[in-house]
Amino acid sequence: MPALIEARAVHKSYWLGEKEIHVLRGASFALNAGEMASLVGPSGVGKSTFLHVIGTLDPPTRGEVLFDGLDAFCMGEEQLAQFRNTSIGFVFQFHYLLPEFTALQNAAMPGLIHRMTREKAEAQAREMLEIVGLSHRLDHKPGELSGGEQQRVALARALVLGPRLLLADEPTGNLDEATGEGIHQLLVELNQRLGIAAIVVTHNPRLAERMPRRLRLTDGLVVEAQ
Amino acid sequence: MNLRWRVTAAAFVLFLAAGAAQYGLATWLGSATTFSRDAVTALSFGVEALGFLVAGFLLSFLGRGYRPLANAIASLAFGIVTFFVLRQLKPPSFSYDRFFASTGELLVWSLCAALGSWLLAMWGASLGMLIGAAGHLDGRFQYEWGIARTHLRLNRRTATVILLFVLIPPGVILLLAQIAADFDKMRRAGGHLTVRLALMLGAIVVVGLALAGRALLARSALARLQPGQRRKRPATVVMTGISIAGVAVGVWALTVVLSVMSGFEADLKHKILGTNSHALLLKFSNDFSEWKTVLPKVEAVPGVAGVSPFILNEVILSHGQTVTGAELKGIDPATAGAVSELPRQVIAGELGWITSPQSIPSSVVEPHGDAAKQLEGPEYEQYLQDTLKRRQEHPEEKGKMDPEAVKNLPGVCIGKEMSHQLRAWVGDIVNVLTPLGEMTPTGPVPRSRPFRVACILYSGMYEYDSKFVYIGIPEAQRFFKMGDNIVGLELKFNDVDAARALGRRVVTMLGGFPYRTKDWAELNRNLFSALKLEKLAMAIILTFIVLVACFNILSTLIMLVLEKTKEISILKSMGARDASVMKIFVVEGLTIGAIGTGMGLLMGLATCSFIEKFGLQLDPDVYYISNLPVNVDGAQFAMVAAISLCLSYLATLYPATKASRLSPVDGLREE
Ligand SMILES: Nc1ncnc2c1ncn2[C@@H]1O[C@H](COP(=O)(O)OP(=O)(O)OP(=O)(O)O)[C@@H](O)[C@H]1O
Ligand SMILES: [Mg+2]
Repeated sequence: MPALIEARAVHKSYWLGEKEIHVLRGASFALNAGEMASLVGPSGVGKSTFLHVIGTLDPPTRGEVLFDGLDAFCMGEEQLAQFRNTSIGFVFQFHYLLPEFTALQNAAMPGLIHRMTREKAEAQAREMLEIVGLSHRLDHKPGELSGGEQQRVALARALVLGPRLLLADEPTGNLDEATGEGIHQLLVELNQRLGIAAIVVTHNPRLAERMPRRLRLTDGLVVEAQ
Repeated sequence: MNLRWRVTAAAFVLFLAAGAAQYGLATWLGSATTFSRDAVTALSFGVEALGFLVAGFLLSFLGRGYRPLANAIASLAFGIVTFFVLRQLKPPSFSYDRFFASTGELLVWSLCAALGSWLLAMWGASLGMLIGAAGHLDGRFQYEWGIARTHLRLNRRTATVILLFVLIPPGVILLLAQIAADFDKMRRAGGHLTVRLALMLGAIVVVGLALAGRALLARSALARLQPGQRRKRPATVVMTGISIAGVAVGVWALTVVLSVMSGFEADLKHKILGTNSHALLLKFSNDFSEWKTVLPKVEAVPGVAGVSPFILNEVILSHGQTVTGAELKGIDPATAGAVSELPRQVIAGELGWITSPQSIPSSVVEPHGDAAKQLEGPEYEQYLQDTLKRRQEHPEEKGKMDPEAVKNLPGVCIGKEMSHQLRAWVGDIVNVLTPLGEMTPTGPVPRSRPFRVACILYSGMYEYDSKFVYIGIPEAQRFFKMGDNIVGLELKFNDVDAARALGRRVVTMLGGFPYRTKDWAELNRNLFSALKLEKLAMAIILTFIVLVACFNILSTLIMLVLEKTKEISILKSMGARDASVMKIFVVEGLTIGAIGTGMGLLMGLATCSFIEKFGLQLDPDVYYISNLPVNVDGAQFAMVAAISLCLSYLATLYPATKASRLSPVDGLREE
């Protein structure tokens, strides 16, 4: 059985004027369904870039990204959108909520994009917000939520359609120790309860240690960290 | 064969089909219906444009995208084919110098065909893209609308504000119109303040004070806030407001000007058809003595409402020392009312007196009738006073002629302007002179006869009022020595706008040649085509205002796209399709356009009613109309709305397409 997601010799480089910046230089790795991994590495090494590439947001310069053994970037625009909508959940480094909408509406957005009825999307969002412990903040806009709460809304939004893969880019980055701990705990719990595979980027070595699998990005390559 | 060539070939075939449909429809409509030529042109080219639009729409599915290049190649090929087909068909030229269009003209037309097909196909393709031509169809836009609403800051409060903005200015204009009308009435009634007027003025003062107070309160509340508490308004919101206002102003100007021009046109038509019939039945020969047998046949033709014989000739009229040229028309006063408004144009005397001159009184005849009531103003009063006085002081050439002979002189009706020029009133004797006189050994001598003025007519058209004089048919026949001949029959139809087709029907019933008809539009072609051209030019110029306003929409949307790149990226990372992102901005631009259009239409409607009620004065000597006319035409308003919405839609395409093509990571980098 093929892995849930597999990266094969992924290269990614940016052009800054004449200068080519190689960020990923043939990174390869595979993750099975339901598996949970942490990804660490110094700042600027390309962790966010790597997540974007395997999350199908950004095509690699070279190499392939396979889901269930199929090349993700061979899909058409519409299938790709569908795939991002239902199979992948993103939590970005800076919690990117839509500032004009309430927590509930933000969490319901993937459902609406999936053309669910408003009632159904909001019911699912409410359920998910309850799981992340925010049932008392449904009608707050992001500006009226604390950083940790915002991050939890982002998590609820990423998980609302039951994706198979969660990509979390430093979900605990700007949070205090205890709150970060709480979010992490939540991630682990969700992974166990819902069987969602997850890659969590973190700068916190203690949290990274606790993951079943630990990856490290160095010199544009993904290596298993022991 | 790869996709591009398949699309090109399909596009070419579809364009050809649309072009053929145009030609076929134009030919068929021209022969099988009673539509006017303009209507046929508009309909057939409308169908062709729709064909291009649909072609582009379908092609966007085949090509899974806009495919501008493939379409352009097909359009070019279509243009070339059009050129050669046109050269075979030899269409008439627009220029007066030649009959068939020159090669240069054909080239321009073919170029227009090519360009039109390309632009319309791209337009159609945009519709295809919008509902997801790249995959399965999806015309829904619920969440897109929700997001667009946040971009426009459209919530219950702002919606109320916008509604107020849409309703208040037209309301104020309407109120002003009502007040102006009432004020006018009051002034005429002798200066008594009516209750309604007082109430309205009171209401205005109260509402104005309340609004001013409310604004002051809001200002002071705002001043008390800390700087940080004041709501920051991003530039795009201000720009949105400006765009709405721009569209509103454009639509307003367009509707008002077009309504006024339609008013002029309708007024002109009304006046022309007041004096003239809908069509003339003529003969390709000088002998129309069988008219008494033709008349009942024509009357029996379905669609014909009235028939009356006429004779027309140029003469010279003199009264005392004054001389003027005139068109002398012999009519039958009994049936003239069935083909024109002549009997209702009488301001003094009676039309019937031209055949029974014995009834013309020798005393002073006062003005009467509805037409006289239209005439107002110091100038008319002065004229009337002078004329009546003169008439009283000089009862026509007393002593010169035997009063019994005067009584038996035939009657003539003249226009108000001519009466003014000749200083002749009802009962006066005028001399009519025709250059077509007898041949004598010393050469031709003009023939002249005295007539007695039987009535004064007022049509409102200076030309008619100063040129036309009417006498009875038998008198005219005798005067011009025509025997029992006439020039032709005047016809009136049940439907004015079908005059040409009904005229053809009459001729067919009479067996064709040597009979022929000329309808009113043909007889006044210069006037109406000038008016139409003017209206078209006006519409085009004013559409530019709307166009500029749509550029406002364009720049507002570009700003919004730049402002919202982050949001677009997030939506895309959550699985929003390109078409969805496009929909957001298209819906947004259309909302701006729709609000602006609605506002402009209401303003236009209110302004038209203002003009109608208030009655803007015009110089009647220049325009032959005392008030600025307006004609509120629903179809015209709908047309303006459609133009404005189409332009708004087009303005959204560039920013919306740009936004849809942003990559999900474009906005994720920025803080
Ligand atoms: N669009 C871009 N153009 C040029 N360079 C880029 C672009 N995006 C990222 N980079 C560069 O790629 C490198 C990797 O960036 P990335 O954001 O992936 O790092 P990171 O590992 O996530 O760092 P951090 O831990 O600080 O978030 C950086 O040096 C960055 O400057
Ligand atoms: Mg990063």
